[in-house]
Amino acid sequence: MSRLSFRPRPLDIHKKLPILKSARDFEDDDPTAAAVTAARVGVLLRHSGSDLTAAATATDGEGNPTPSKKNAQEIPTPQFDDVESYERDYTRTFAQPSCYIRGRGARADIGEFVEYDLDNEDEEWLEDFNNERKNLNPEKLEVLLFKLEFLDHKARERAGAITPTFIGPVPVLLQLDVAMEALQYLSVRYAVFQAVYNFWKAKRERWQKPILRRLQPPPPVNDTNPYNVFRPREKAHRLHTRRMQRRENNIQSFEKLRLVRRNLDQAKALMGALIKREETKREFMECEVNLQRIQMQYKHEAQLVDDGTALSGFQQVSSRYGSSDDDYADSDDTTTEQPYYRPPVLHPRYSDNKLSVIPTLRIKRERELKRRPQNNGWAFKRDPEEPVLLFTRPLDPGKLVAAGIKLPPDPPIENGDTMPPFRCRGRIGRGGRIIFDRWNPLARTPTSVGQETSNYVPYGRRPPSPEG
Amino acid sequence: MGSMELCTAPENGTAAAATACNGGAAPPNGGVERRLRSMAASASWAAHLPLEVGTRVMCRWRDQKPHPVKVIERRKSSSYSSPADYEYYVHYTEFNRRLDEWVKLEQLDLDTVEADVDEKIDDKATSLKMTRHQKRKIDETHVEQGHEELDAASLREHEEFTKVKNIAKIELGKYEIDTWYFSPFPPEYNDSAKLFFCEFCLNFMKRKEQLQRHMKKCDLKHPPGDEIYRCGTLSMFEVDGKKNKIYGQNLCYLAKLFLDHKTLYYDVDLFLFYILCECDDRGCHMVGYFSKEKHSEESYNLACILTLPPYQRKGYGKFLIAFSYELSKKEGKVGTPERPLSDLGLVSYRGYWTRVLLEILKKHKSNISIKELSDMTAIKADDILSTLQSLDLIQYRKGQHVICADPKVLDRHLKAAGRGGLDVDVSKLIWTPYKEQG
Repeated sequence: MSRLSFRPRPLDIHKKLPILKSARDFEDDDPTAAAVTAARVGVLLRHSGSDLTAAATATDGEGNPTPSKKNAQEIPTPQFDDVESYERDYTRTFAQPSCYIRGRGARADIGEFVEYDLDNEDEEWLEDFNNERKNLNPEKLEVLLFKLEFLDHKARERAGAITPTFIGPVPVLLQLDVAMEALQYLSVRYAVFQAVYNFWKAKRERWQKPILRRLQPPPPVNDTNPYNVFRPREKAHRLHTRRMQRRENNIQSFEKLRLVRRNLDQAKALMGALIKREETKREFMECEVNLQRIQMQYKHEAQLVDDGTALSGFQQVSSRYGSSDDDYADSDDTTTEQPYYRPPVLHPRYSDNKLSVIPTLRIKRERELKRRPQNNGWAFKRDPEEPVLLFTRPLDPGKLVAAGIKLPPDPPIENGDTMPPFRCRGRIGRGGRIIFDRWNPLARTPTSVGQETSNYVPYGRRPPSPEG
Repeated sequence: MGSMELCTAPENGTAAAATACNGGAAPPNGGVERRLRSMAASASWAAHLPLEVGTRVMCRWRDQKPHPVKVIERRKSSSYSSPADYEYYVHYTEFNRRLDEWVKLEQLDLDTVEADVDEKIDDKATSLKMTRHQKRKIDETHVEQGHEELDAASLREHEEFTKVKNIAKIELGKYEIDTWYFSPFPPEYNDSAKLFFCEFCLNFMKRKEQLQRHMKKCDLKHPPGDEIYRCGTLSMFEVDGKKNKIYGQNLCYLAKLFLDHKTLYYDVDLFLFYILCECDDRGCHMVGYFSKEKHSEESYNLACILTLPPYQRKGYGKFLIAFSYELSKKEGKVGTPERPLSDLGLVSYRGYWTRVLLEILKKHKSNISIKELSDMTAIKADDILSTLQSLDLIQYRKGQHVICADPKVLDRHLKAAGRGGLDVDVSKLIWTPYKEQG
């Protein structure tokens, strides 16, 4: 009672189910089942489980039948008899080989087997025929009809008149003289052959289809007449997966496939562009690496000259290069093809910098100043790349000359180099002194790092990354 | 039973006939009134011969006892037309359609005649009831593969076509066998009540002499495929429907005579046929077969299965079923027979599933899932569930399902499931699955 009052959970076929071996296990567990069994057997519940089962089996035998083999065998079926002539009809000529029998090709491929068996109509015609002139045996007639069927089939094949399914009467295309010529080797008298041919042709015209079953075309797929059997199955309907089956050979499928094709073409174009972009990026990166390698080289050469500050200078350079790499990594893909025209916006990263105190107006002015000569090319680059030192004023060359101060001369150009290892640039320091800094035009870094250079850094690294 | 003959002879007069009827089979305590009514009935029915299609009546069967039948069809038994000169094709309502047969009027007990009133009302109304009735009939007999595409009208037409067996008997090898169902032989064969099959190539002919002539030239002594199993005199052949189309078609024509729910709608080239033979010095004699789709989408491992009537109840059917599962195991797949199963087929399958599963449960110690059982046996999980549930072995206790495997209960079920028949010796199966064949 309680057992049926709730619905059991659906059974999970992957879940391991416990197997209860002992009858007692579930008799104890399940008073309902036990009571039912007890009632059937008519004994008290005190009996052990095994007794109950034995008793139940006994009652089953007495007239409480469960569906069993006995019942199953009582399904009545129609009857059969022995055939008396069997031993004569089938000869004892079969010797089973010791190995398993392998199938040969179909009979049609083997050739000489006469597939056609005379039917009642043929036999009756033959009887009439032989009553007049006793000169054709049934076996010969079978051969003739079989060969005629075959020759006609070949004739239709040559004429392209073979249809995959039965769509109309199948005509006789074989001519008497052609057939006679082809079957000469059977050495049948012309009169007999002609009679057989005429009989065959009349029969074929009556049947409107080949009389050899193998040559009869199957009914068309859309024929619903249940008498017509063994339709060819349309290949499209018998594809191996459901997904393939869903696609039918119609306009919608065509449109769908065309859409798929268009999408694939677009995807292909997109991928092409993507590949081109990535290649360009790689080329650009290689250029950048080469440039930096050259810069490094110059830097080291400069260090040899300016040995006293080599260590700190190197650190300066490396940190700068690191940050410029970061800039590329952060940069938007779309701009990488033309990175030199990056819009002049302040990178958010700089907002934390000391530089934020500088009014934007000033920055803009500075940037305009720097960009102007850049348009003229690489040769002028060193000028705009000169450090803009805060809290200093640029030197006025006219005033310097008037005061009799000369710029320090450029160091001698080493062989193979186009530029001197460093240049000097003058400025007025915070204390009002005139200071000349050594400045490496290629690395665009000051070779001597003073108190002020830390202020310069943020400015210095803006130009090279997006613009340089 | 002589009474009925009298009843059918009008010149004897109604009164005489009626008396004789009751004299023959008078109920010991039947009242006069009842006797009168029965007199009137038989008299009127005798006058209304021939019986209408749809009439319900008692008929003497082969066990010499009366059984209720329904008249399906009637035909004149001789050229001269007397109302009594009709044969009736009857369906024994207690039995399967396979026992439908032509009977002579003398087998019918005209006292029990009643018109199929329900059907007639339904007919007139052509109402919902009629449709439902038709539907039920169609459902019962024609849930067949390949027929889903047919509309209801075609199905009714099919029903009409197949309601009367066209071939009553066949001769196959050493047996003359009464057929069970209609089979759509080519129209040229429809005028013959008996067909003669060549036992080996299964060609069929209308006359014995034709068969004898054929036997002289027939070059086959076994099915035209590869032998894939041999154990004693028992051999199994695999025949590809594509390579041996005519053989496959012949086999289907033959099998349809014994299978109600079989369709010959599509060609045989997508099927493999497994022919079970008993071999002796005359050749390999087919005792049964099963067919199998080369590629099944619904994991069917068997489409049709048949043991020929002379070989039934000897364990061959069980062997065929077991064999189909051995093939599935070799393929590494689970399989299930195509539905619907016939009454005999269901009994055999239930027996096989019960035997296989219960043998495992008897030996198995630890917990086991349905999936594991399925993997071990190649039986589809649904079939395992339905088998165990029908035996009430899966129960729901304390919030979980358990398998109740009391050895005594299992033994009882095993006994009821019957003998296992002939065993398949897997070591003698030499076979490559179709997909792996070149």
